[in-house]
Amino acid sequence: MSMVDVRKVTKTYRRDAEELVVLDGLSLQVEEGDFAALMGPSGSGKSTLLNLIAGIDKPTSGEVVVAGTDVARLDETGLAEFRSHNVGFIFQLYNLIPVLTAAENVELPLLLTHLSKAERRERARTALKVVGLADRAEHYPRQLSGGQEQRVAIARAVVTDPKVLVADEPTGDLDAKSATEILDLMGTLNRDFKKTIVMVTHDPRAAERAHTQHHLEKGVLRD
Amino acid sequence: MKFLPYLLKHLRRSWFRTALTVLAMALCIFLFCTLQSVLAQISGLLDSRSGRRLVTRNSVSFTFPLPVAYEARIQSVPGVVRVAGSNWFGGALPAKKEGKAEGSSATRDWSNFFPNMAVELEPFLAMYPEYQVPPDQYQALLQDQRGCVIGRKLAEKYGWKLGDTFYLESIIPTYRKPDGPFEFVVRAIFDVDAVKYPAVQTNQMFFSRNYLYEATGRTLQAGVYYVEVQDPDEAGEVSAAIDRLFENSDNQTHTETEKAFVASFVAMAGNLSLLLNGIGLAVTFTILLVVANTMSIAVRERRTEIGVLKTLGFTSRQVMGLVVSESVLIGLMGGALGVFGSHGIMWMLTHAPGLKSMLATIGLTELNLRPLVAGLGFANALFLGFVAGFVPALGAYRARITDALRTV
Repeated sequence: MSMVDVRKVTKTYRRDAEELVVLDGLSLQVEEGDFAALMGPSGSGKSTLLNLIAGIDKPTSGEVVVAGTDVARLDETGLAEFRSHNVGFIFQLYNLIPVLTAAENVELPLLLTHLSKAERRERARTALKVVGLADRAEHYPRQLSGGQEQRVAIARAVVTDPKVLVADEPTGDLDAKSATEILDLMGTLNRDFKKTIVMVTHDPRAAERAHTQHHLEKGVLRD
Repeated sequence: MKFLPYLLKHLRRSWFRTALTVLAMALCIFLFCTLQSVLAQISGLLDSRSGRRLVTRNSVSFTFPLPVAYEARIQSVPGVVRVAGSNWFGGALPAKKEGKAEGSSATRDWSNFFPNMAVELEPFLAMYPEYQVPPDQYQALLQDQRGCVIGRKLAEKYGWKLGDTFYLESIIPTYRKPDGPFEFVVRAIFDVDAVKYPAVQTNQMFFSRNYLYEATGRTLQAGVYYVEVQDPDEAGEVSAAIDRLFENSDNQTHTETEKAFVASFVAMAGNLSLLLNGIGLAVTFTILLVVANTMSIAVRERRTEIGVLKTLGFTSRQVMGLVVSESVLIGLMGGALGVFGSHGIMWMLTHAPGLKSMLATIGLTELNLRPLVAGLGFANALFLGFVAGFVPALGAYRARITDALRTV
């Protein structure tokens, strides 16, 4: 069963009179529990595709079905709800809120749930434990290394127990050692926690960790 | 409520900027509450004046007196019921109460200044039915040259009872007598129906003009004449008739309703109400811009963060709500601080010796922050916070995730 089913998706942007085709009738399936890597040169459309899968953008035409929901049919509020329940997003630059501690950053998505404060705190601690940062719960992002920040960001992505994790170059801003640790962690989430992962990367070593690799070029898949 | 810690953390992010914005908001609300309280007090003062009473003063200024002979001539004008001459005594309690001869102003105690006037008691009290004096006390007052009638609040403040004696010395040299301060005996205490006359104050004192004349040994002129008319609708005609009487004299008069007289008295610098409201409006508008600017900067700085929140599943409406709430929170803190500050300054104004006497000369013996004004000030702060945060919040609402995340 496909967790992600992208069918004949086109995405165009209009800049003045010019129409820019970023994705051109692209189709892609990612099975449940898969770890997929999207690769390709800059401007090939891989981040755009990732945004469509994550439900933070809508296709110009075609269908994007994620966890059984066609995100192209959802309105703005429906998309927000879809993201909060089904998708965990890992950014290249971590994007933690600087005024919040690690625990508070992880707790942030849970503010949208009906959980009590104690339950939210408990879940955040558990997520931090999973990424190996339970002892850094009260640290602020500025007090953490890049690798640690990314691990907190991963904890934030998984704290709501989403079906799909999407990662936009998660190791792009890290040194080799930290990158390896992050990829190990993602492997663990995929293997032990059965998370379906779609990852955009330029790094062949990162792509090797994925079960499947998809190469994009000028808005179409090459394999 | 679960978002409150998140909002507070954001406000602490740039605490200096937040503190300055809160202070700006507090200043705005402080001015609003203080100015409105002063205006409310003045308005109450004016509203308490009867339309049946006129005041005849020297046309040059009320500081120039009028001849005693004018009284009978004013009384002869058709439509006039009674006339009462009066002099602003401007007496202060001496620091020493033994009644010794003290010529120096250094012996006066300005910390307890209260309005006191020498009047023709019978006609004056007759035209002021709001001052309720028991008949027996009224008789006692008329029979004692040194007798005075004081308001209930004044009596309570100093613990004065009927028969008690106290001393006052005037700030006006011609109203001083060579052998020391004036001795007064409390012969009557007046009350005011607070429901019927809410703005009439009971911290005043009146005594006989005869006492002033005889004690000083001078033929003193009248400060102003209070005139009661038969019909308030004829006040304009009667005023004009009185002024016509003295058109060709050395001391021309200006007669107006008591309300107009008090209004001109408190608004010598011009249209006080317009001035105070103008200042308040200008400050409010400025603060609106300041807070809006602060919120715009805050939102621009956090554009990526807004993208992240939306990615995590926050709806645009929720993000907008967070921004507006942050701004309203600034309004709330500023409002509370402003209301508190206004209450404090008014307490200070009515308790500081020099300022207190200065305010008393224009009738502002009592100045306090009314709950309605405080409530309005607080609501104003919340409204300003909301309006100031609305436009930046709208920007946050409209921000597309993909654009917001690209912001560095």
